[in-house]
Amino acid sequence: MPDLTDRVRRAQDGDETAFRELYDEHAGRIYALCLRLTGDAATAQERTQDAFVRAWERLRSFRGDSAFGTWLHRLAVNVVLMERRGRSRRERRVTPASGEAAFEGASGGPPAPGERLDLEGAIAALPAGAREVFVLFDVEGYSHEEIAGMCGIAVGTSKAQLFRARRLLREMLER
Amino acid sequence: MNDREHEAEFARLLEETRRLPRSIEPPRDLWPAIAARIRRRPAWRRWAALAAAAAVVLIVGRRILTGSSEGWAVARVDGAPRIGRTALVGTGRLRVGQVIVTDDSSRAEVQVGLIGRVEVLPGSELRLVAARPDAHRLALARGTIYAEVTAPPRLFVVETPTATAVDLGCAYTLEVDSTGASRLRVTAGYVELVWGDRRSIVPLGAMAVTRAGAGPGTPFVEDAPGALRDALTAFDFARGGSPAARAVLRAARAEDAVTLWHLVSRVDPSLRAAVYDRLAALVPPPSGTSRDAALRLDAPTLERYWQHIRRIQWRREILKGLREIDPRTGLAR
Repeated sequence: MPDLTDRVRRAQDGDETAFRELYDEHAGRIYALCLRLTGDAATAQERTQDAFVRAWERLRSFRGDSAFGTWLHRLAVNVVLMERRGRSRRERRVTPASGEAAFEGASGGPPAPGERLDLEGAIAALPAGAREVFVLFDVEGYSHEEIAGMCGIAVGTSKAQLFRARRLLREMLER
Repeated sequence: MNDREHEAEFARLLEETRRLPRSIEPPRDLWPAIAARIRRRPAWRRWAALAAAAAVVLIVGRRILTGSSEGWAVARVDGAPRIGRTALVGTGRLRVGQVIVTDDSSRAEVQVGLIGRVEVLPGSELRLVAARPDAHRLALARGTIYAEVTAPPRLFVVETPTATAVDLGCAYTLEVDSTGASRLRVTAGYVELVWGDRRSIVPLGAMAVTRAGAGPGTPFVEDAPGALRDALTAFDFARGGSPAARAVLRAARAEDAVTLWHLVSRVDPSLRAAVYDRLAALVPPPSGTSRDAALRLDAPTLERYWQHIRRIQWRREILKGLREIDPRTGLAR
């Protein structure tokens, strides 16, 4: 029997306070995901909001087969990818400088002076397709099969994008 | 720095990647905007929609159990839709020959047997023509419907005053105005529009219009240039003839192959080679395609070319924003 937390169950019943508590618990995790996938702080804030609104709308379909955080995480990935698919204009790439600025509020984790900021900026500067696969595989730990399913691409394409992302990062490192 | 040192540093970078902070506080409180958005849709409407959906499921379930095949389940979504002169309160049944009518503020949902659903948007009049396992047929006299169907091709058909939309496995929006003219926009799969011996195939990301006395116009992709659309309107509905067809050729891009493919068989025979050559220059045909056979309108040849074009169009749409697709080949650039 799925073990739904009380807060999730209350939110499913339309309790907005319970949903706010879920937001407080997961907002940082979802924002970090959106920020890395989009490479842009303003867009990441929009997608984070979209993800929580979508979660509210679909909450009743959550049956507790996985942890709520896992469900929400997957939903947020889909929100970001679908939004980008739907846009007619090509995604504006951010410069490493603005990418670094976006991550200035990063919290948690051991300090890694200089390196972390450089790494976040480098990830933000990757081309969109390569960045998405890199973030989902190397940062978030999804498999190529899962990424292929989420992005609507072949497994081979996912592997190729990861190879491309790593090559570009390596080149940035060598500059 | 030598190669070995580079490798070591890159390995450290990947390791660092895996240790990136899992959580980053947003620079501002995002909750107020979220709260405003989730409150925007009144709770009663959510519950009404859920109740309507549940009622449809119950009715469909009962139909399966009883084996009844009389009409389809229908549910009120908004406002005061009617079945004939009778107000639809909650749920009901649309029987063959009956008409569901929505006013400017009403919406309803019709369960298309066991194969899909149709949203009846405001200002519409939709009649059930046939409701058998081998024939799901509606007639849209006016208004707008959104249809989603999961079934083998040609099981679901919607008649309009100026064309018939045959489902080939898809989702689409179909509008009919007061003159009977219609507009079809396909959002998944593809749809065939037929009127007499005139046939237009409209794939994902494309549209087509129909007019009284002319049937379905030539399909065009949603991002087709204005000049191409204007020329097509002249060609299809204003007897624009060869000058209009030539204007289409001038405006066409590789992305407009869906349009050019249809024109091959629609233009005056004297212009057919020019249309085919323009199409072949923009989107080279699959290997083994004979120009002569295409100009003779050999059905298998044209069909093979069409499948090639449809695949490119599908990839272009489905990967929009994710991959830059070469409209000449369908391959990622």
